[in-house]
Amino acid sequence: MSDIIFNLYKFLECPNLKLRCPSWVKTPSPMFVFTVIMIFYFGITSGVIYDIVLETPSIGSRVDAQGHSRPVAFLPNRINGQYIMEGLAASCMFALGSGGFIMLDQLHSRQIMPRFTRMLLTGVALLSALVAFFVCRIFVKIKIPAYLAK
Amino acid sequence: MLQSKVLMRHPMLKWFLMSHEKQSYVLQLAILSLAMILSFCTRLFSVIRFGSMIHEFDPYFNYRTTKYLAEKGFYEFHNWFDDRAWYPLGRIIGGTIYPGLMVTSTALYHLLNTFNFTVDIREVCVFLAPLFSSLTTLVTFLMTRELHSTGAGLFAACCISIVPGYISRSVAGSYDNEGIAIFCMLLTYYFWIKSVKTGSLCWSACCALSYFYMVSAWGGYVFLVNLIPIHVLCLMLTGRFHHKIYVAYSTFYCLGTVLSMQISFVGFQPVQTSEHMGALGVFGLCQIYSFVEYVRSKLTKENFTALFRTILMFSLGCFALFFAVLTLSGKVAPWTGRFYSLLDPSYAKNNIPIIASVSEHQPTAWSSFYFDLHVLTIMFPVGLYYCFKNLTDHNIFVILYGVTSIYFAGVMVRLMLVLAPIMCILGGIGLSSVASTYVRNIDLTRKEDKKSKKSADNYPIKSEVALVVVCIVGAFMMFYAQHCVWVTSEAYSSPSIVLSAETAHGRIIFDDYREAYWWLRRNTPPDAKVMSWWDYGYQISAIANRTVLVDNNTWNNTHISRVGQAMSSPEERAYPIMRELDVDYVLVIFGGLSGYSSDDINKFLWMVRIGGSTPSGEHIKEHDYYTPQGEFRVDKLGSKTLLNCLMYKLSYYRFGSMYTQTGQPSGYDRVRNAEIGNKDFELTYLEEAYTTEHWIVRIYKVKKPDNRGNLV
Repeated sequence: MSDIIFNLYKFLECPNLKLRCPSWVKTPSPMFVFTVIMIFYFGITSGVIYDIVLETPSIGSRVDAQGHSRPVAFLPNRINGQYIMEGLAASCMFALGSGGFIMLDQLHSRQIMPRFTRMLLTGVALLSALVAFFVCRIFVKIKIPAYLAK
Repeated sequence: MLQSKVLMRHPMLKWFLMSHEKQSYVLQLAILSLAMILSFCTRLFSVIRFGSMIHEFDPYFNYRTTKYLAEKGFYEFHNWFDDRAWYPLGRIIGGTIYPGLMVTSTALYHLLNTFNFTVDIREVCVFLAPLFSSLTTLVTFLMTRELHSTGAGLFAACCISIVPGYISRSVAGSYDNEGIAIFCMLLTYYFWIKSVKTGSLCWSACCALSYFYMVSAWGGYVFLVNLIPIHVLCLMLTGRFHHKIYVAYSTFYCLGTVLSMQISFVGFQPVQTSEHMGALGVFGLCQIYSFVEYVRSKLTKENFTALFRTILMFSLGCFALFFAVLTLSGKVAPWTGRFYSLLDPSYAKNNIPIIASVSEHQPTAWSSFYFDLHVLTIMFPVGLYYCFKNLTDHNIFVILYGVTSIYFAGVMVRLMLVLAPIMCILGGIGLSSVASTYVRNIDLTRKEDKKSKKSADNYPIKSEVALVVVCIVGAFMMFYAQHCVWVTSEAYSSPSIVLSAETAHGRIIFDDYREAYWWLRRNTPPDAKVMSWWDYGYQISAIANRTVLVDNNTWNNTHISRVGQAMSSPEERAYPIMRELDVDYVLVIFGGLSGYSSDDINKFLWMVRIGGSTPSGEHIKEHDYYTPQGEFRVDKLGSKTLLNCLMYKLSYYRFGSMYTQTGQPSGYDRVRNAEIGNKDFELTYLEEAYTTEHWIVRIYKVKKPDNRGNLV
């Protein structure tokens, strides 16, 4: 048996492989992963899977009293239905609101900051959070007129 | 001294004498109890409006099986073969359901009866889901407290007590697996986080036991059995794997798998299907990793690297070959239809019409996210951010849970239920972190003192900004509460079996479904067979107690297709199919008189699609039922095939002479908004047996063949 193996290795030569992980492959930093997840969240909450599977139009249209065709931004009266544009707009609002709160945290965690930057950051953060929240509310009210009505 | 004597005399003021820890403990207890009571109460809208009844369709099957279990005992239940459904095939119930829900209800029922609280089994079924939602609130608090802090726990508990995404499937009367499954899932996750943190065998064993409860409760346990291995894998990749996680996962996998195989429906799936292979793979990987670490600690560096490389290449090669052989030879089953459609959303739409036809299986639009979660859609990334800021072993688990459930909720609107708890947890962490960071900045001392201590010049109006932020957080929570209660009251508290509508004369209640089922129960022979579309099968079995051909289990596509063929064919071709299946009565749902839009005519195209999807239905083609312009119309311009098929005739029999709306001709269909095309016709092979008050349910009797074989 050992003879066979020795004879075999007279012909075969072990490849001198030096397999190493390439140096540019590193574990990504937490904030990088967080950014990727935020982009993923933005995509999913805009209803991208709904758009792909059900092939909705980008914007709807209706014919008004004079016979002109008017665009309709929000698919009315259906909770689980949307056009592409309204999905993206809503997703922007969610991301804006989250961004506002994250800015509020950045504001607090860094002690050394020029006065002007701090004031500006506070203003932008509070504005983002409030605008995002109220605009989302308005979107749903446009979409479903009976929202929060008796 | 005098002050404390005064305080001692007034029991309410004793509060102020207690130490801060005791005060905070009492406050936590009070908030948590209020959240638990709130979660129970907010789910009672439909009981107050319509009475204590079971809702929808699936809960009726669960109710029927629970009644059987309560009356006959566990062995009869486990060996039950039901010959009153799927006639003539029957259905093995014992081996094809998840018994956790039924066993829980029966246990509770027997417990209450032992203490002589003689409640009916129906009441236990109706109120089980709200009870378990209170327990879910408690478990969410415990879990978030482990993950972050008590404040975050309280925020998360308050959020989950009223979150609409969870309420939609756990309202009183919605007696379905998800009602207890969410509790079991969060309990398993809580024990898992405890075992990862402590590495103790006891917590891991508790995790395995609650995993067993979860497997017995819901088919969604596949999510758990893949998420926990992904977590362990992630910890290995980030270099955080250590002996605690080894102990936790090994114990959980071994005990959990053996326990899960005790459920008949699961059987040998954990070692045979691809959905469970991930867990097995990670288990093997854990052992190998730990062994490698052990060997590394014993050998010198060069010996170790040489040994490691050879063994790694050899074993990877072997493993890949082995796995490929198993998959190709069919020993390991690939991902099945329902779960595969989660990975490839367009698969169901193209290949399996039954899965695609259920509205709950549609992908999710943005408004569903906002409607079911409100402010949590904004706070979820904030919570994720705080988790990423201080990354620990258990935070990674929560991040993975969040990301995977966002994806699954985006693919299927029904899975919003799995997303809701993690949204509450991360939203709670986010809100609590923001609030607690800014509350510390609030400085309510008087203006004179403030001027003297001019704190950091680069942070002006610190206290005012903090006050504004805390007020915003409070306002968001108030808006959230308003939204959640409105949504629960208007959207998620309808029993579906009883309909109601507001008119100028007040509220009208449509109780047609139960009226028709009770008519069937009282006026037909006990062995009568009823044909209807599969949606109503469970309700007919449970309330009318008659044999049905197809029901909501939809396990046999060919049988459903046969019923679809009967409904889509003209009367002459449908009659032999009905005789073949021994049908005595046909039940259709019709909304044209009342304006009820979920009727059989609106579902008719699905009947055509499913009817035409098997070889015996090849003559049924969908485009025959459309007009030449491609529209689905029931008026004079509608396709002749549609106007003469059985479903059309059964829905519109005698409808041509009814006046439904002022200013419209007779036979005006209020749902399709059209005057029907085929008005005066008679039925040859069926006769009308019963039509309910608002014409919603119509029952027809199938005539027996004439004695002389001549049906004129």
